[in-house]
Amino acid sequence: MSNEHTVKSYEDELQHLKDSIIEMGSLTEAQLNDSMDAIIKVDKDSIDKIIKSDEKINKFRSKIDTQIMTLLVKRAPMAIDLRETISALKISQDLERIGDLSKSNAKKVKPLPLDLPEELLGNLKRLGDLVTKQLNDVLDSYVNKNFDQAKEVWKKDEQVDDLTFIAMNSVINFLSKDKKNLDFSTHLIFATKNLERAGDHITNIAEIICFLIKGEYLKGHRPKGKETDL
Amino acid sequence: MTKDKRLAKRHRSEKIFKFYGLLSIFISLLFVLVLVNNIFSKGTSAFTKTVIETEVFYNQDLLDLEYGASKDEILDADFFDVTIESLLLIYPTNGLDEEKQLINLFSTDVEIEIKSKFLNNNDFIGKKVIIELTASDDIDQLHKGNYPRDLPEDRRRISDFQLKIFDKLVENGNIKKTFNNYFFTKGDSRDPELAGIGGALVGSFYSILICLLLSFPIAVLASIYLEEFAPKNRITDFIEININNLAAVPSIVYGLLALQILLSTIHLPRSTPLVAGITLALMTLPRIIIPCRASLKAVPPSIREGALAVGASKFQSVFHHVVPLALPGTLSGTIIGLAQALGETAPLILIGMVAFVVDIPSSPIDPSASLPVQVYLWSESAERGFVEKTSATIMILLSFLIVMNFLAVYLRQKFEKRWN
Amino acid sequence: MKEIKIKSINLNVFYGEKQALFDVNLSLNEKEVTALIGPSGCGKSTFIRCINRMNDVIDICKVTGTIEMDGFDINDKNLDVVSLRERVGMVFQKPNPFPKSIYDNISYGPKIHGKGESKSELDFIVEKSLRKAALWEEVKDRLDEPGTSLSGGQQQRLCIARAISVNPEVILMDEPCSALDPIATAKIEELIDELKETFTIVIVTHSMAQAVRVSQKTGFFHLGKLIEVGKTDKIFKNPDNKMTQDYITGRFG
Repeated sequence: MSNEHTVKSYEDELQHLKDSIIEMGSLTEAQLNDSMDAIIKVDKDSIDKIIKSDEKINKFRSKIDTQIMTLLVKRAPMAIDLRETISALKISQDLERIGDLSKSNAKKVKPLPLDLPEELLGNLKRLGDLVTKQLNDVLDSYVNKNFDQAKEVWKKDEQVDDLTFIAMNSVINFLSKDKKNLDFSTHLIFATKNLERAGDHITNIAEIICFLIKGEYLKGHRPKGKETDL
Repeated sequence: MTKDKRLAKRHRSEKIFKFYGLLSIFISLLFVLVLVNNIFSKGTSAFTKTVIETEVFYNQDLLDLEYGASKDEILDADFFDVTIESLLLIYPTNGLDEEKQLINLFSTDVEIEIKSKFLNNNDFIGKKVIIELTASDDIDQLHKGNYPRDLPEDRRRISDFQLKIFDKLVENGNIKKTFNNYFFTKGDSRDPELAGIGGALVGSFYSILICLLLSFPIAVLASIYLEEFAPKNRITDFIEININNLAAVPSIVYGLLALQILLSTIHLPRSTPLVAGITLALMTLPRIIIPCRASLKAVPPSIREGALAVGASKFQSVFHHVVPLALPGTLSGTIIGLAQALGETAPLILIGMVAFVVDIPSSPIDPSASLPVQVYLWSESAERGFVEKTSATIMILLSFLIVMNFLAVYLRQKFEKRWN
Repeated sequence: MKEIKIKSINLNVFYGEKQALFDVNLSLNEKEVTALIGPSGCGKSTFIRCINRMNDVIDICKVTGTIEMDGFDINDKNLDVVSLRERVGMVFQKPNPFPKSIYDNISYGPKIHGKGESKSELDFIVEKSLRKAALWEEVKDRLDEPGTSLSGGQQQRLCIARAISVNPEVILMDEPCSALDPIATAKIEELIDELKETFTIVIVTHSMAQAVRVSQKTGFFHLGKLIEVGKTDKIFKNPDNKMTQDYITGRFG
């Protein structure tokens, strides 16, 4: 017996679905990276580019939705095929949200001054790097069906919460130092929050991938780091 | 060859094949028509007989009977003188020879006819009554136009004098043709005008009845056993081969078998429908077993499984479900087998049904003839009168066979409709 | 927790030299639907035919092992198969109503088992069985018509009514819907849902979707062996055995 579906077109359809997710994931990764770069370097020229590429991500969402509908109606997938299909649906939703959050962050670069303090930017960068790495790891675990890697990402959400706490404090300090900073500080607060939320979505994806591989949900609560009051 | 040419060739082959089919049907219909025409043209005249209207005077002086005499007294009485007196009044005769010729115009039973007429109406005593008396065979054939009149007298069966009387009677309208009831009511006779198939009919009826009563139950039960219950091994295969072979054995062999065992060893009465029935039953057994087994085989196993699954025993599933479905085919086979048995001649000749039997049998152990044997016997006779009777008997036989075959088809359709 | 109604222990079946079932240990819970799935020739039909001893009609078939039901062994040579089949009914793949009237189809079983003496008793049994098979309303005015005059789906419901007319405890169904159209199939599935309140049901099916829909427990057979058995939910969402998963996802078969 071979490990491929007897009906080749079924095999192809499933493969296309997985490929679509991987492609969408890559686009989202790039989007997240670019938006972080834009904030850290206060690069106002790249804003339009980032906004445009978000459209591509949304298009992928529709394409994946259609593929999933077709699979469900045609093939009535069972067991692992069923989990693949439903996981693809949920992962694409989370990826789209991460894309939206990145776009939102890119928009916040406009009003930023060019002389933000090193420490503040440093904290933001550390948070951004971690979230970016999380996304990279979780997409890797999807491609390689690596349960342990996905579980690691799930656990690391605690670190994301911690770094968010630190970055948030930096921004609030900066805000309280000079009332002139109020305007763009609020943007920075939202940007920090967005990164935390992106981290949550990535943790969602990790949970989904664990379920996909094992067939049962992860037990226990998500590890939570320090909570900010905002 | 191109595609079109190939197509045209195929269509042509179809047409030629259809033509051959129609041609063969046409030829066979032609044969049937010739046969039917032959038989009918010779046989229809047997259903009528010639009668001579005669005034009979039941002269009380010649009869020794009183008014209101009992049946026994009438039967004992002698009607000869009354007969002669009345007959001689028809035409003036000159001498004993001419008187004889006149009397010979009538059938040999003429006295009995006059007596039996009186038997039914004993108030005829002393009266003159006009009776239709059966004419002799020669007059009958002459009246039907079968005797040429232009031969010299010594080569004719009818003398000139008789011809004169005949013509006079025709002129006066005293000679008629009526329905020949004797053909159906009387047994065999030396005189063709008095011969009938009554005895053969009853003989055949008893024979076929006994054949049916013996062969049907045995054959059906044997088929059911062989098909449903017997284990499938070499012995049952051997039995099946033998049954198939028995169906092909020439029927005369069964006659020999009957002769040796039934007549010589068991000493059953010869020439009786009982022996004929047993012989025919032996012959018909394999002819019923084969279609019965085929019908049983044709019942789909899903029916048996359905019955077993509901908790029927093997016996119940066979008799409540399989056998009723096999009934149409079995009945068809039985009726066709019986129709064949009806027409069997050779074995019945061997067991003696070729004897000359006048009386109509009243039970299966009275000697009798059967229809096909009767045909054989009459076809051997010299008299012209038997020719038409032979053909008429064949017509009766054929109509029985046709009716039986239609019955087989009808029953089959009726049962199949019911079960479907 | 459902009780076990029928349990096969080391069941082996041979057709002459060829072995069709290898050491099958499978238990069926009462008042529950158990589905048996597997590729053609894997032995599922052979298995259920052991339960009502229908394999007895095949001369070369030999069965070893035990099948326990209510404390006795179905495979016992001295067992009266006729009374066994009163307790274990069967519905076949192709509807096979008797070529008799609808009434006679249903009344035949009770009659031969002595369950209905008077006409009114039989009338009652016939109506009850047809109602339970969801066929009464459609045929109540034409009980004298032959069973074969009904449509395919109705004939199969008639066969189900016939099976339940003798009040069995177990109903075996061998691909009961494979010859039926989708609507007739849906009606039968609805019927199975209701019947499982009263009877223990085993259904052999080639349709994964049907097995998921109607059964609570599923057994997967392959080449005469029972590969995996468990709750239907688990088998179809996350089976333990790779072969099971490959079969239900169409990766072989």
